[in-house]
Amino acid sequence: MAALVAALSLTAPVLASAQGEPRDLTIAAPAAPGGGWDQTARVMQQVLRATGLARSVQVVNAPGAAGTIGLARFVSAETGNGDALLVTGLVMVSGIAANRSPVTLADVTPIARLSGEYEVIVVPASSPYRSLAHLLAAFRANPGAVAWGGGSAGGTDEILVRLLAQRVGVEPARVNYVAYPGGGQALASVLGAHVSAAVSGLGEFAAHIESGGLRALAVSAPNRVPGVSIPTFREQGVELELLNWRGLVGPPGLSRAERRELEDLVRRMATSDEWTAALERNGWADIYMEGEPFGRFLIDETARVAPLVASRAGRGGWDSFELAVLLGGGIALAAAAWRVRSERRRARGEPAREDSPVRVNLAALGVLALALATDLLLIESAGFVIASTLMFALTAHAFGSRHPARDALIGLALAALVYAGFTCGLGIALPGSVLG
Amino acid sequence: MDVLPALAEGFRVALTPAHLGWCFVGVCLGTAVGVLPGIGPALTVALLLPVTLNVEPTAAFIMFAGIYYGAMYGGSTTSILLNTPGESATIVTALEGHRMAKAGRGGAALATAAIGSFVAGTLATLGLAMAAPLMVKLALGLGPAEYFALILLAFAAVASLLGDSTAKGMASLFLGLTLGLVGLDPRDGQARLTFGIPYLLDGIDPVIAAVGLFAVGEMLYLASRLGAREDELVPLRGSLWMTREEWSRSLAPWLRGTAIGFPLGALPAGGSELPTFLSYGLEKRLARRPEEFGRGAIEGVAGPEAANNAAAAGTLVPLLTLGLPTSATAAVLLAAFQQYGLRPGPLLFEHQPALVWGVIASLFVGNTMLLLLNLPLVGLWVRLLAVPRPLLFGGILVLATVGAYSVHGSRADLALLCAIGLLGLALRGGGFPLAPVIIGLLLGPMAEQQLARALAIAQGDVTTLLARPVPAVLLAVAVLILARPVLATVFRPRAAQG
Repeated sequence: MAALVAALSLTAPVLASAQGEPRDLTIAAPAAPGGGWDQTARVMQQVLRATGLARSVQVVNAPGAAGTIGLARFVSAETGNGDALLVTGLVMVSGIAANRSPVTLADVTPIARLSGEYEVIVVPASSPYRSLAHLLAAFRANPGAVAWGGGSAGGTDEILVRLLAQRVGVEPARVNYVAYPGGGQALASVLGAHVSAAVSGLGEFAAHIESGGLRALAVSAPNRVPGVSIPTFREQGVELELLNWRGLVGPPGLSRAERRELEDLVRRMATSDEWTAALERNGWADIYMEGEPFGRFLIDETARVAPLVASRAGRGGWDSFELAVLLGGGIALAAAAWRVRSERRRARGEPAREDSPVRVNLAALGVLALALATDLLLIESAGFVIASTLMFALTAHAFGSRHPARDALIGLALAALVYAGFTCGLGIALPGSVLG
Repeated sequence: MDVLPALAEGFRVALTPAHLGWCFVGVCLGTAVGVLPGIGPALTVALLLPVTLNVEPTAAFIMFAGIYYGAMYGGSTTSILLNTPGESATIVTALEGHRMAKAGRGGAALATAAIGSFVAGTLATLGLAMAAPLMVKLALGLGPAEYFALILLAFAAVASLLGDSTAKGMASLFLGLTLGLVGLDPRDGQARLTFGIPYLLDGIDPVIAAVGLFAVGEMLYLASRLGAREDELVPLRGSLWMTREEWSRSLAPWLRGTAIGFPLGALPAGGSELPTFLSYGLEKRLARRPEEFGRGAIEGVAGPEAANNAAAAGTLVPLLTLGLPTSATAAVLLAAFQQYGLRPGPLLFEHQPALVWGVIASLFVGNTMLLLLNLPLVGLWVRLLAVPRPLLFGGILVLATVGAYSVHGSRADLALLCAIGLLGLALRGGGFPLAPVIIGLLLGPMAEQQLARALAIAQGDVTTLLARPVPAVLLAVAVLILARPVLATVFRPRAAQG
């Protein structure tokens, strides 16, 4: 643990900001730790600290629903805050349309497009499809027979397949897209030739393209990617470009000066040597774009992607699997209810059962429910330590303890210990508030 | 390349004082996050990634591997003692393990979990060193139809968990399946049963559900019955350690659990929950006294605990040999490799032998450390059960709520935990079994996804499930298991095959 703390302090700020006061930034990553948006935020955190562009940088994760939960939270919590940024990207554009999110990218302030990855189409080495033209001919002739493997529904991979279908004139409803969570399983399915073709970011398939396990047919870049010998779509006569881009937006309600300051800060970060090195390390393309053009780019991407999502949403009502589950559940529940009733009837006939007059202890149950409700209500306003202490004492009371002061002390000690372990040991911020 | 000299070289790397230190930090951190429900090894490694960028790669990976293995040990401790599973792979452990703990055999349950994890971890790491390329070739041949059949087999294997009343068991199972529907349809991204609440779009986390049902729900139930007849909790009955009989009953389940866990862990969609269910079902079927299952059978702890550790080693097979992440932790480890400019795949073993074999050797070292760390702690852990119940329950609630809250830093998870706790109270009050709810929630979405994929690839042709030998055989076995009680009564002259 000492080594960890030492390593942490190494990344502490070295220089003060070159211009103006050093800033304390918050970067919201609308995804769980580990994904591309989170990595972008954490790499920025490192670079901003190492270059001294910010005094402190806090990364806040708010995952869920293709980033739309994080977006909504960012808009409601940070409006007018000139020191807050949100990581966004193509998947959020698609998620906003798919989930009919009430908050959209029109509600935030575009700051910059930062980095991205191109997509690649591969087939197994044993595949009969030798070229893109070959694969597309089969796709046109019988769309259902070409099973496309790729990441989650609505993600960049599916967007590429749907754009491709649109270009070659295949009806959206006939596209056979097989979604896998994460890149790993899609890779396995194409290596094992379970799908006809697969789509993913160039980096995820690169090792297997080089080793010959997979054949790459096309890459979604405008021009050949340096060091990669895969032809582009355009070279092969298909007008298609797609970038799994990531960028930054600020909260709504910023003054012109605040917006300019954020843009300056990000530009200086994006032109630093540390950032260039980080891009290379992660295999991200440098596609930096300033705030105003980025804003127009966002509008264009939304116009291009949203109809694709809408075209996919053809399936109305209930489908067979859900119906089977709900009907089966209903029948089972009915059977269980019938059984409970017949048991009761039997119990009434022979009332010699030990535990038949069950007395529910409403007082204890009520206090315990109060304990949970207290934690739920107070954890964010009063802080983790206070909420947990109260919950601990109330729980003990519910189970018959009558030493409230002692219980509260024990609860306080436990909560403080857990709090310290989380914030220092794991770097997960719990709501602190009054007791810090 | 010869395995043994390479492995010896690996041990030379792993046994340097600095690397031993990193390994120790890793297993301690892993045990700690394993204990906390919700916080898993994937999240921990992801949070540590930026910090470890200044550390040399071998040391970092030795620590990450320690975290991964340590979490498997830590998760079982809370499952057994507090009925609060820390990881989804240790949910099954709670079923028999917590009943053993209530009956005064918590020490034996913890010991069989620790030793079983050690045995399985060591054997599986050996398998990783020896047979990785072969395993991968076999694993890639399995497609969605095979996975679907395998999941149905797991359903059949744990059918006995439905409890005494089939009707109530089925009601619980379907409740779980319905909860599993919540979220985005994996095929087309349409929202199902989310009632317009954005939070529900990502579905219900099985660990939060398990903690809500087993820990919070149970506690609410106990509170509602306070003052009525109390079932007593015995911290320790008999010896703290495993008796001779418990040893002999654990040995075979450890080995069988390893044999199930390692290959399934190596499958691209195997995961570590599936083998624990299969192992539990198998042990119950093979047990000399199957009637003890449900009342604290040591086989039901030994098998699944061995299976989840072996599966953890199994996931490293496709990761190291193909760069194929098959679990959340493996995906984060892959990102870590990329941060160091390393590319896992066929060439990694050749380009970075010191790193790869050092990490493999450190898995052996970490396992041994975990055993030495955990066995002496058994006595201490068991004493936890002697803590007065009001305080113990308060502590469990603090642990459960902090785990649920911290994952996403959102109160919605906490609210879900409480809501599922209330559901658990209602189910317990009505005499409905809880385990089938979790089974439905965990396995249902997996089965649906694989079935949907198999059918999509075959363009809706259902016979694809029977057209290939592996799924056909697996489905036949599943049907036989389910039909056995029926067949046994039809064909009367039953031999002694209880």
